[in-house]
Amino acid sequence: MNSILLDVINALQQVVLEVIDSRTGEVCHIAGDSKWMADLFPQLHGQRSFVIDDHTPFLHDFLIDAQQVWQGDSNTSLKSGFWTEVAPNKRELHLEATAIRYNTHNILLIASLTEEFKIRQNTLQSARELLLSNDRLIEQNEYLHTRLLAILKEPEQQGDILISLTKAIEYTEFSVLITDNKLNTIIENSATYALFEQKQHSSTLTEKPIEIILNLMKSQLPEFDRIMSTKSGWDGELCWVLPPSTLKWLKITFYPVKTELNEVSNWIIFTNDVSSIKHLVQKSEQLALQDMLTKLPNRFSFLQMLEKKIISNKPFYLLYLDINEFRSHNEYYGHQGGDKLLIDLSERIGSILTESDYIARVGGDEFTIILSDINNQHDCQIILDKILKCTDKPFISNKDENFNISISIGVASYPNDTSSVEELMKFVDLSAYTGKVKNKSSVQFYSQSIKDASLHVIELEKELRDAVKNHEFELYLQPIINIEQDSVQKAEALIRWNHPEKGLISPIQFIPIAEKSELINAIGHWVIKSACAISKKLSDNGYKIKISINLSPPQILEEELFSFIHNCIKEYQVEPELLEIEITEGVLVNDYVIAERLLSKVRAIGMTVSLDDFGTGYSSLSYLKKLPLDFVKIDRSFVDDIVIDDNDKAIVRAVIAMAHNLNLGVTAEGVETEEQLKFLRKNYCNAVQGYLYSTPVRFDNFLQFLMTFNKTIKS
Amino acid sequence: MIKKKICLLGASSVGKTSLVKQFVEGIFNEKYLTSIGVKIDKKIVSVKQQEVQLMLWDIEGYDRYNVFQGKYIRGASAYIIVVDQTRNSSLQEGIAIHALARNISNVPAILVFNKSDLQANWHLEDSQINQYIALFDRQFNTSAKTGNNVEEMFQAIAELTLKE
Repeated sequence: MNSILLDVINALQQVVLEVIDSRTGEVCHIAGDSKWMADLFPQLHGQRSFVIDDHTPFLHDFLIDAQQVWQGDSNTSLKSGFWTEVAPNKRELHLEATAIRYNTHNILLIASLTEEFKIRQNTLQSARELLLSNDRLIEQNEYLHTRLLAILKEPEQQGDILISLTKAIEYTEFSVLITDNKLNTIIENSATYALFEQKQHSSTLTEKPIEIILNLMKSQLPEFDRIMSTKSGWDGELCWVLPPSTLKWLKITFYPVKTELNEVSNWIIFTNDVSSIKHLVQKSEQLALQDMLTKLPNRFSFLQMLEKKIISNKPFYLLYLDINEFRSHNEYYGHQGGDKLLIDLSERIGSILTESDYIARVGGDEFTIILSDINNQHDCQIILDKILKCTDKPFISNKDENFNISISIGVASYPNDTSSVEELMKFVDLSAYTGKVKNKSSVQFYSQSIKDASLHVIELEKELRDAVKNHEFELYLQPIINIEQDSVQKAEALIRWNHPEKGLISPIQFIPIAEKSELINAIGHWVIKSACAISKKLSDNGYKIKISINLSPPQILEEELFSFIHNCIKEYQVEPELLEIEITEGVLVNDYVIAERLLSKVRAIGMTVSLDDFGTGYSSLSYLKKLPLDFVKIDRSFVDDIVIDDNDKAIVRAVIAMAHNLNLGVTAEGVETEEQLKFLRKNYCNAVQGYLYSTPVRFDNFLQFLMTFNKTIKS
Repeated sequence: MIKKKICLLGASSVGKTSLVKQFVEGIFNEKYLTSIGVKIDKKIVSVKQQEVQLMLWDIEGYDRYNVFQGKYIRGASAYIIVVDQTRNSSLQEGIAIHALARNISNVPAILVFNKSDLQANWHLEDSQINQYIALFDRQFNTSAKTGNNVEEMFQAIAELTLKE
């Protein structure tokens, strides 16, 4: 072999072996005289050929994979990956083998890659230290948050709560502050004083820790007002500078603690000093402006870019995108699963943007996108449609399961909506928040009406909260008639709001706001309690009539719902057989597993279950077959034209036949005429509900109705 | 002499290398140095008057920079899933690695809660931890730092390999 080539091989610390028999591992030494060779192959003893055996177990094992290369027909190669051997002088050898097939020659190349090994080790050392710090931080925060929530929501004496809180937070390594609803500090731990460089119990504090945090958020976070007014949580990094010598990067996590009436009772604020993590990151210039997880630009990089774009004075659209229910996703799949989703989502969106566009990760599950070459809403909508389409396809979890997500996007335009960085951020954040729909992706362009609507929602939510406190709700009852026996079989309980100024308000107007503001659980509890009270009163009056209670989709997710229902049944001494749960199809599609669990439990204690609005939504026969149901209710939209529309006739007949085959009873809603009743009777529908018999009425009027309804079964 | 290949698997920085170092050399190094690739150490143990050479494959921890490679388990007589008892996520990752390894090999597996010299920080119910433990042939609480239970754990795995 050419001597220069030999020198090159030695300089590269390589050894070339030709494979004589790939099955036995017999090789012939061709080139390379590195000193480590004799250490690695003591069996060589000056011979040219030798057998690779389990003295070098890693290499011996690699021969199994290498055979595929050597026994193939094409020119190819395979690397073993790094492995480490210890020489007799205790020196570590960092090696990598490559199996090569080239022009019928089978080669095994072994290289000592100490330098490459060290570079990789140094890079991964920093990266893994960062991962470790982040993991610990997230785990500790999540755990403490759960513990503090449990303490704050315990119905204990205030003094006991303070003792429990002190115990929970005092030895925590990071700063923990708990405030009242007005952000006045109730308790803070020693780590808070250390972090904010203040002496405990000092009366000469210039600025309290809570004031420092709030001032940082106000000055560095355009979304701050929206977060406070909508009682949302937030987490992210802020920079605290206190001349002459303090510069700290703080990771702040801001959690509201809410009452059942969706009022903030406390704020929990965690502050972690992440300056050392930042320092590790800043070792690499690129990482300083980059989000470590997704490799996208981070919040600070984004804000710089947004300023630049505004200075360049060319029109653009700003998008603010967040993942709906990301917290639930994290709880279900763990934060590694959450991380995977963020990476996958960022890659999907990144793949449809052009080079002139810009995407950044600006918060936990929040991304911003600048669409540079777009100056009208129509073109912007085209990109938005692409984003929605690409996020609509299933994602794969770290457990190899398929799942779907929904996202909320807020959009604002420069310069049409505003020319200020801060306002642009406020507008897109508010639009994304306002447009949010549960389990559905949404896009909301900013407009003045968005701002007005969000104020209106805040106002209405306040009124709703007052309504719960002031007992402004009332349950109306609408009879459900068994048309086989001509008797009142059930009554559907329907909520009404007696607003002191606006009069009677229909649930269509206030339930969506209650659902969004989490007040739905408080209202739902009131409905269940009142329905139990009504059932008891009816029994006391001698009527065995089942009361049907509607459950809204978010209520199904309430962990304690079954216990609540069960406790009410016991408290009011109601027979569970005289209560029914009504759910809509939407619940089944979105939260099938949870719904199934709840419905099985309520049926186990004797209640029945009815599927409301059947046929209007995502009717799936498979749900009907699998779910623990007793009745289906045919939606009024099919009943309206049942006398004149052949399609509706066919649908109603089919639903009745199918339900009966599945041993389910059928109730038709919205029955208003004798002709409709006649048709339903003829087609063996079991029960009807509608104005033909009665509108929803107050309890006293319902009693009157019962008395005049001749064939009611009186026990 | 009987030779047995034993793989040490787990998330990064749970202490796999430290366990091997403590067992083979009786040394513990406080400074964390991440492993790259594979390093194989050997140590002879005695099981019922029989000498067994354990070939300990210390494999780089799995994380977003290094994915699980089933080929390393090939030919192993047993494997050890090491988790850091101060890090909940390392247990979840350890269980996920165990599930992947089980797709390839059915050899005995030990679950090791390492860093027992530090305060445990699972934030999990005992019943949940017991469910995880039930997935393994044996479970040990070890400290590579103090050496607590390290010898016993490797001795137990040697015995398990001979039972098969």
